[in-house]
Amino acid sequence: MKKTLALASGLLLLTLALTWWLDLHQPEPIELIPTLTGEPEYCLTCHADLPEISASHPVETFGCVSCHGGERLSLDEDLAHGTMRGSANPSDLSVAESSCGGSNCHSGSEAEGRNHIQRVMTSVQSTYAGAIASIRYTFGAQADLSAYLGINAVADDQTQTGITLLSTFDPASESNPSIQKFGENCLTCHLHTGPREGEVYARQTGCAACHSTGEHSFTTAIPYTQCNACHNRGNYDLRTMSFVERTDQPTKRIDDYYQPIAQFTLCEYTLDCVDCHTRSEVMGDGDIHANQKGIQYIQCKTCHGTLTELPLTKTLTDPTDIAFTLAFLNPVMDLQLGDTIIITEKSEPLWNTRVLLDGTYEMIGKATKQYFTFNPVMGSGCTQTGDDQSSAYCHECHAVER
Amino acid sequence: MTELTRRDFLKLARDGFLWLSAALSLGGLLRFLDYDPNPASRTEFDLGPVENYPPGSRTLLPEPPAVLVHTESGFSALSLICTHLGCTVEQNMDGFACPCHGSHFDVNGNVTHGPAMKPLTSLRIEIIEDNRLILHTD
Repeated sequence: MKKTLALASGLLLLTLALTWWLDLHQPEPIELIPTLTGEPEYCLTCHADLPEISASHPVETFGCVSCHGGERLSLDEDLAHGTMRGSANPSDLSVAESSCGGSNCHSGSEAEGRNHIQRVMTSVQSTYAGAIASIRYTFGAQADLSAYLGINAVADDQTQTGITLLSTFDPASESNPSIQKFGENCLTCHLHTGPREGEVYARQTGCAACHSTGEHSFTTAIPYTQCNACHNRGNYDLRTMSFVERTDQPTKRIDDYYQPIAQFTLCEYTLDCVDCHTRSEVMGDGDIHANQKGIQYIQCKTCHGTLTELPLTKTLTDPTDIAFTLAFLNPVMDLQLGDTIIITEKSEPLWNTRVLLDGTYEMIGKATKQYFTFNPVMGSGCTQTGDDQSSAYCHECHAVER
Repeated sequence: MTELTRRDFLKLARDGFLWLSAALSLGGLLRFLDYDPNPASRTEFDLGPVENYPPGSRTLLPEPPAVLVHTESGFSALSLICTHLGCTVEQNMDGFACPCHGSHFDVNGNVTHGPAMKPLTSLRIEIIEDNRLILHTD
């Protein structure tokens, strides 16, 4: 009996000593008290090597939990991660309101330009309304090309487009097999879903689909390659209702940018998509639109004008102008009060442009920081008809030989 | 010298193991109780002797981020935590600018450019008995 007791007490001591030793060899907790929350969190104990996500979201200010959720005090991997939002991507649209929202952040008032999440939710990038309507119309499931369905149901009582509601598209409830196959094979390019397999399609969902170009990064300097994760990667085959991936291996930028048969001007394939296309075109303007054509409006004349009209411009006199905010977030250009920039017909600033003293214009690439100068059509030898701004029309003279 | 019997040895080992186990357990318990995973933030900061901050001086403090101003009317301090989302603002020619979202404040902490809506927070300064400055952030 005494032998057993001695053995048991020895085992107890051994167990306690082992526990103590293991505890001593745990990583020392790294505490961070973000100024935004004032609440300690220990995420950096394991994640101190992650790069700063962006200059606007320093970890000392935001910490990790404000965006990612999770158990801030836990040092156990499963427990700490158990309540995270959107797994490793808190900008997934299913959780973006909790992660990125709030009136001071990205779901504030439209007047302050902080309604980002609401705009994205109703954008065609999120609803995919145009593609859905087009396929359903083609296969006789609806009588016209109007948008009735979206990836998710969305509503907008104050819409300017006349579309106040989209119901949820449910491929399984469709009777036409082609529409069902469309649902199975062709819904990999909207913001709610992950990408197809393959490096060229690699992107995340939600806000990060466009704004995250690397590990733990967020930027407004979005290169065309990020857009290409969805755009220009292949074609829908309406016979088999499947997505046919590109098989070519482009070696030149002009071939990488677009489909082989298309024509392009120098600026179309030299600039990045975000150099010309505006926030409202890409992220939506808060209204529900039927398709891409309903929201995309930038034309050649936006920057080049016509024979009779110079491009619209605006001299910056208000320090609170949104142009300064956008330039601040991606400081490729030292925009100053008094500078004159090009604006669109909807008064969106092309803040990376500037009118020069000689009447020409400059632009700095938002992603590349490349410097460009360009001329207005007015006063040139161009023989265009100003109201025809179709790409084919301008390409007649300005397409680049490939 | 008394010879240690097997029985005595087992008793001694058992007692020794149990005492050591008790000591380890107690140590672990004290360590557990001593650890505060959720400590309250400091709200008082000793800035040292008043003489370190002569009249007319304007001193940037790293911890907590603040600017300490000594004028004829006395000491005052402004927090350098941006009132928008809490980034630390940086001093420039016109006052302070937030590197995160672009808010600007004049030298007195008033907003000159959003998105911040509120001025920089004034902090309380106290001079204690041995002529030391205490900065309060609460």
